[in-house]
Amino acid sequence: MSTPPPPEPASAASGAPAAKAEATITPLPPFQPDLYQRAWSSVPHPTLPLLATAHAKSVTVFSLATFSKHSALTGGHARSVRTTAWQPPRGGASNAESTRKRRLALVTGSFDATAGMWSYEEAGGDEPEGLEKEVRLDHDGDRGGGEDNDNKEWEFNLVLEGHENEVKGLAFSPGGQYLATCSRDKSVWIWEDVGAEEGDDEWETVAVLSEHDGDVKAVAWCPSDLPNARAKRRHYSADVLASASYDNTVRIWREDADGEWVCVSVLEGHEGTVWGLQWESKARADGRFPRLMTFSADGTIRVWTLREEEEEEKEPEEEGSANPFRSGFGGIPSTMRRSLREEWDCTAVLPKVHTRDVYSVSWSADTGLVASTGSDGVIAVYAEDDTSPGTNSGAEDGTSGPKSNWRLLATVSNAHGPYEINHITWCKRFDPGAERKGKEEMLVTTGDDGVVRPWQVRISSS
Amino acid sequence: MERDLENANPTILSVSQLPSRSRKGTAVRHGPDAKCDSIVYPKHSWPYGSSSSSDEEDDDGEEPMDEQDIYDLISTISDPEHPHTLGQLSVVRLPDIHLSPSPAELTGPDSLVTVLVELTPTINHCSLATVIGLAVRCRLEQTLPPNYRVDVRMKVGSHAQDDQVNKQLGDKERVAAALENDTLQRMVDKMLETCV
Repeated sequence: MSTPPPPEPASAASGAPAAKAEATITPLPPFQPDLYQRAWSSVPHPTLPLLATAHAKSVTVFSLATFSKHSALTGGHARSVRTTAWQPPRGGASNAESTRKRRLALVTGSFDATAGMWSYEEAGGDEPEGLEKEVRLDHDGDRGGGEDNDNKEWEFNLVLEGHENEVKGLAFSPGGQYLATCSRDKSVWIWEDVGAEEGDDEWETVAVLSEHDGDVKAVAWCPSDLPNARAKRRHYSADVLASASYDNTVRIWREDADGEWVCVSVLEGHEGTVWGLQWESKARADGRFPRLMTFSADGTIRVWTLREEEEEEKEPEEEGSANPFRSGFGGIPSTMRRSLREEWDCTAVLPKVHTRDVYSVSWSADTGLVASTGSDGVIAVYAEDDTSPGTNSGAEDGTSGPKSNWRLLATVSNAHGPYEINHITWCKRFDPGAERKGKEEMLVTTGDDGVVRPWQVRISSS
Repeated sequence: MERDLENANPTILSVSQLPSRSRKGTAVRHGPDAKCDSIVYPKHSWPYGSSSSSDEEDDDGEEPMDEQDIYDLISTISDPEHPHTLGQLSVVRLPDIHLSPSPAELTGPDSLVTVLVELTPTINHCSLATVIGLAVRCRLEQTLPPNYRVDVRMKVGSHAQDDQVNKQLGDKERVAAALENDTLQRMVDKMLETCV
């Protein structure tokens, strides 16, 4: 457990030493149209210039090339859609080939207790360039067409039922094999894609994890394409899931050698609902396992680091009846289990900016920068000090390694006027104003005002 | 559903005993003390170009509020089980309403104001506390300008499950979902019928 670093003043880099990077955040024209009602989240497609915004009972998909509406998903849910996730292309997230299939797939999680699977097939079907091209043509005016007549191109294919009440979060595993959903019913469900080979939408429940004592607000899978994310822990499969809850805790789940999903760690430290979590997606120079960032109603953002064992071959310690995690073993005798437990330490608390709930944080896979927002309507961007000489002390002894230091680079107050901001995400730029299209990142915020707003972020060394 | 009332004999204040400013009965001030408001508090306008239209509901909410205004907005909410208002039952009390900072000290229309309302349910184990809290939060969010952040809590010591109820009422996502629940929405609507 670390002690929080002293808070820094909430203005651009004013408290930072000279010669450190500074950031300027400037608004870009908002996405059109305005949704005129609370919007919950906006999720960029992993490769295509598309952004899916959940609001009311529907999802509006925006083009990142034009900042205007591309299509809409309506009619699938009886209550608000809280969350969405793009299905990774089948056959591997890194396989760009699969976008040639010209099929978009989105899953929606709703307050109506279900998750819906949707697909979008290209209407024309014969153009060889694929969806990305189509998206752009659409908005260069070549195809004419209004905003609303493309509703029909999204089809509601499958409903995943099982949760007892509101679905609050969902996420695909990096390979797309699993979908995790979570709900106010305190459970996390893991679904497996069993129709992939036939190209069907067929999903089977492989686990129901009910160890949280309150609503599960969000789930996130550890990225597995990083060199350091490949688990050295041979007793488990590669997939690692984390869940955040109303019970103020975060739990880490892994699939053991018997195919059982078990809770391997409980992260305690937040003093309010944990609204969500973000895995580190940028490879670490020190080759360590990805860290986890969590954010909460207590106004803080925390970084957690796995305490890595120096010798994986070592026999697991017998933990006997004193093991506080025995509840995680279900009905299976603990003698049949090997070393299940992981130690995660809170290795940083980001500089305190927010005065109310932190609803959303995004940790860039490209730059490693972190952006946060919440009820106070403030956007904040932070950077980790990468060179902190002399802080390597913990690295040698099998603990969680160096504590990290984070600096506030910039803030924007009233980023959606007086309204609360529900979501923030880093997002690739494809608009004409981008200097490096498809590479440069911007921020996108989604607010109670129904506005989805892109922001340009410039980092400069002073 | 229990058919018995949770509290069969609540103390009831008569309307004339309730705190009021002038018995005009509305929250909006048009008196001489409000005539400078349009100068002191510029109309809300979006600073970023293209989405020029500000929200309609903003327009009439620019006058500085005080605790009495908040009281007037919520004291007329009906109790879910008694034919009286929350003001008459002293569930809502003027001294338990706190604005911070005072809206008169705001630096701009987007500056946040926190409204803290502490409720005193009529008895210790009132299972309807959550519904009452929901109605109060709902009423304030519907009527106050968007720069107000509403915190509704049970007054310390007044309710057996303070923490649970407070946490639920403070959870935006739960509140949003609750208001999509037909039964709850109907209850809240009924409670708000008596509001002007």
